[in-house]
Amino acid sequence: MFHISSQKKYWTFDNEESLEQLRYEANQKYRNKMLASGKPGVSDAVFLEAHEENVLFRHYEKRLLDFCNAFKPVMPKSVVGTAIMYFRRFYLNNSLMEYHPRTIMLICAYLSCKVDEFNVSSTQFVGNLVQESAAGQERALEQILEYELLLIQQLNFHLVVHTPYRPMEGLLIDIKTRYPLLENPESLRKSVDDFLTRVTLTDSGLLFPPSQIAMTAILNSASRAGLSMESYLTECMGLKEDKETLLKMYDAMRRIKSLMKKYELPKPDEVNAYKVKLERVHADFGTNSNMNG
Amino acid sequence: MTPEMDDQGCPRCKTTKYRNPSLKLMVNVCGHTLCESCVDMLFVRGSGNCVQCDTPLRKSNFRVQLFEDPAVDKEVEIRKKVLKIYNKRDFDFSNLREYNDYLERVEEIVYNLTNNLEVEGTKQIMEAYQRENRDIIQKNKAKLTREQEELEELLLLEQQGNEQRRLETLQEEQRQLQAKRKSKQALLDELERSHVPATILLAQHKDRAAQLETQIEKQKQVVKTTIFSTGIPMGQTVSLLTVNRLEEVLYHYQPIHMHTYGPPVPELEQLGRLGYLNHVRTAQPQDMAGGYNSGLACHRAIQDAFSGLFHPLG
Repeated sequence: MFHISSQKKYWTFDNEESLEQLRYEANQKYRNKMLASGKPGVSDAVFLEAHEENVLFRHYEKRLLDFCNAFKPVMPKSVVGTAIMYFRRFYLNNSLMEYHPRTIMLICAYLSCKVDEFNVSSTQFVGNLVQESAAGQERALEQILEYELLLIQQLNFHLVVHTPYRPMEGLLIDIKTRYPLLENPESLRKSVDDFLTRVTLTDSGLLFPPSQIAMTAILNSASRAGLSMESYLTECMGLKEDKETLLKMYDAMRRIKSLMKKYELPKPDEVNAYKVKLERVHADFGTNSNMNG
Repeated sequence: MTPEMDDQGCPRCKTTKYRNPSLKLMVNVCGHTLCESCVDMLFVRGSGNCVQCDTPLRKSNFRVQLFEDPAVDKEVEIRKKVLKIYNKRDFDFSNLREYNDYLERVEEIVYNLTNNLEVEGTKQIMEAYQRENRDIIQKNKAKLTREQEELEELLLLEQQGNEQRRLETLQEEQRQLQAKRKSKQALLDELERSHVPATILLAQHKDRAAQLETQIEKQKQVVKTTIFSTGIPMGQTVSLLTVNRLEEVLYHYQPIHMHTYGPPVPELEQLGRLGYLNHVRTAQPQDMAGGYNSGLACHRAIQDAFSGLFHPLG
């Protein structure tokens, strides 16, 4: 359950600023490490800034999402959500310059399949890398197995991720049972799904409990469809008296929606420029062999 | 023929237990064995040299071998001698570490003497220790003898008790036998003398025999209660040391309270009644066979939906 999970204890932060701070610190740590190592060609200009890393992060995150959506056999949504969450958590404490996102992205998906008990053999998994030859797929698999333990370590062995999909189902069931004012909750399902997919690309998973995210999704979809659902919170959830909790809920929902609005797909020219820089850093200072794609 | 009868043999005359079952092997301080007859032959003068290692030995030092490996016997003898001197006990030391160090030293000494390493040095160490700790050794010796006496007393008591019981059961059996014989004899006499028909006499005799049986049974069942179940003999005055009463607080069960940071979840059993199950996919017979029912999935979904909904306030 979420309320006793490691996600609540260790991976739910208070505000976006603390997340920014962590990412900035990860970036700084890598820079200092490289500057201190005294390798040739090291200078501040060579490295990526935190906001540049952010652009690249979003780019690779989108690629991860596309990879999971194109996966055969069809990946359940919770597996996709878990993979993206791993990716996000990993790069909260590590810099993209130290571990290339291309590799980490695949390992996140692989680990997520294992953890969520979505049975895919390793050959089947790398078979989904359609751009690679068989040899390329082999190399990819080797890389995955090499870095898998690193990923688990950086996740601090907290492998269970609570995604908003089951809470969403639960809330729909509850609405159908206790809230007859909303006539056809099933009609909301598609837009709710869409909302949840978009929300995984934001930092909401690291800031809010999945049940709140699901609630936001449902209320948002309802208001978009012109249906009023305000009394659900006050009546069914018993928050009529508890003004404070109600205000907090509204505040959380507002913040989630603003995070979603702020998200934008990274611009291609920016991405390419930073990618060049990233490749330089990995080629010069990286210790791992690179993969194509 | 058991295997061990064959391999233990006297190194000199080569007789084994197989050929001479009453063969006794004797071990001396050097660790080599000789059978009884060889000992008598070689040490007729009282002292001589060991056959295998040529150490000067005395006949009186030969002891009957208790262990298969003569080296073990040798070590046991050495250990007994060493422990006569090194007889400190665990309460003579201030902490566990010191006691363990002491034991380690004792083991070293025994090992050295058994394997003939640094015999001179070890003997000197032992003498030095003996001189320094003379009074403690004496004290512990006294304590040891007292304990041994107490143990012996207990053993004696036990033996006496066993003896007594054995005698009693024997006597009982005798009495029963006699009673049976008497009744048989009485039957024969009556058959001879009386004018009552034989069948009635036989019936009477049978009755009496049955009565006797029950009597015997009852007697057996009368347990001689001489001791309480704790082992304290009845009638003995026991000095009751005041036992410290341990005051302990009685355990009260407190049900676990889980803070879910969200609205209360309906109970699993109530789900059907409240109408939740109408909105969940019904369980197929294949699922139900394994113990699944739709309430489980529904309950899980509701739990997840409500958990943490009011976070961080709850």
